[in-house]
Amino acid sequence: MNTKSNSYVMVFTIGLCVTVSSVLAVLATELKETQLAAAEFDRQKNVMMAAGLIERGDSRPRPELEALYKKRVKSIIVDTRDGSLAEGDSKEQVVALNAKASEADPKDANAFRMIETGFTEDGRLDAIILPVSGKGLWSTLYGYLALDADKNHVKGIQFYKHGETPGLGGEIENPEWTAMWKGKEILNDKGELVSVTVKKGKVNESIPSEVKHYVDGLAGATITSNGVSKFVLRDLQAFSTYLQKK
Amino acid sequence: MTSIAAPETKKAPLFGEEEKRVILDPLLDQNPITLQVLGICSALAVTTRLDVSIVMGISVIAVMAMANVTISLLRNLIPSKIRIIVQLVVVSGAVIIVDQVLRAYAFDLAKQLGVFISLIITNCIVMGRLEAFAMQNPPWRSLLDGIGNGLGYAWIICVVGAFREVFGSGKLLGYEIIPDAMYEAGYVNNGLMVLAPGAFILLGVIVWVLRWIRGYTEN
Repeated sequence: MNTKSNSYVMVFTIGLCVTVSSVLAVLATELKETQLAAAEFDRQKNVMMAAGLIERGDSRPRPELEALYKKRVKSIIVDTRDGSLAEGDSKEQVVALNAKASEADPKDANAFRMIETGFTEDGRLDAIILPVSGKGLWSTLYGYLALDADKNHVKGIQFYKHGETPGLGGEIENPEWTAMWKGKEILNDKGELVSVTVKKGKVNESIPSEVKHYVDGLAGATITSNGVSKFVLRDLQAFSTYLQKK
Repeated sequence: MTSIAAPETKKAPLFGEEEKRVILDPLLDQNPITLQVLGICSALAVTTRLDVSIVMGISVIAVMAMANVTISLLRNLIPSKIRIIVQLVVVSGAVIIVDQVLRAYAFDLAKQLGVFISLIITNCIVMGRLEAFAMQNPPWRSLLDGIGNGLGYAWIICVVGAFREVFGSGKLLGYEIIPDAMYEAGYVNNGLMVLAPGAFILLGVIVWVLRWIRGYTEN
């Protein structure tokens, strides 16, 4: 066989590519479910971390943490038009409700949204965990912002998926930075929604309103920081009807 | 053509002298990091913690073993005109396999390692061994060579990872090992160790120590 001829090279290349792609395709299909389950578990852990139910790097085994999530966290569906709660607790139900709403008025295609609520050991509402997501510098960031039951104080923030530069924008995962969010307020003295803004530079400790509503910026990650400020405000506004309900 | 070395007529022992050399050499005498100074980029990037280093090490071993065996099996069929791109395809395939498996069974670590698993494709150790060894040697030996070089890479980054975790964050595999009393006495974690330059210095020291022990000089 002449391994130097052009036709041999062509046949070899095609054969190799087809073989390698089939192997990868089979593998990806086989592993898909396990991967989705792992990603879902990761999301649950981040919800619990935002709500302060577990610490980062909790070493308890997976079934135990999954049981904890089941027991202490409940999904609810919010109608963002008037802030009322809708029946149900699954993603499919949100899709169905939104489909119905958008039939009546196309503007309402995203009217129903799912949020998580965290409860204390004795079943008292302890945390409202809102999904936040939006653009950073390179990627879309996905995270959870947890509020206290008073719907004003921030309980925690966690980002579980992003593609920012490690060490720069990627520092949004840094526990030291996310800890700064704790205790900030999203409402001003008049009760208006002002959200929490990521400042450029350090928060000035001598200005009370700044201490309440700002967190330190991330050095070398201005665009990621601005992105976080922007989408946290936008997502809080989206839930404003619900948040203003007493 | 030199590729038809020593016709394998008699059954060679599974672990002969040659095989032992192939797997042991890369650990010290021909270590890919300390002697050939390859794969430095990932050695700096993923060694902030020991567990991440271990997973990265295992991934590289797996990729090298898979790629070396595949290329060795195909070595007489690969047209020499396109051999580099063929090697790349095989390496990429192996890396994607490792990446997918990690994402299914070690999600947290896969997230930690992020892009660096995919970047194993560009690790010069892998391509280097394919071109220098697997293209001329039978599958069994190539497998050993892949594992040997992977181990040579893995143990170095594990040492760096262990040092950086202990001195950078006072932990080892996530467990506190520096007692609280030390911190109360004024001890502080070395921030440099968490950053890439810390790894660079450590790696330099390791290269120096290993070369000094083995009496290696650059000529």
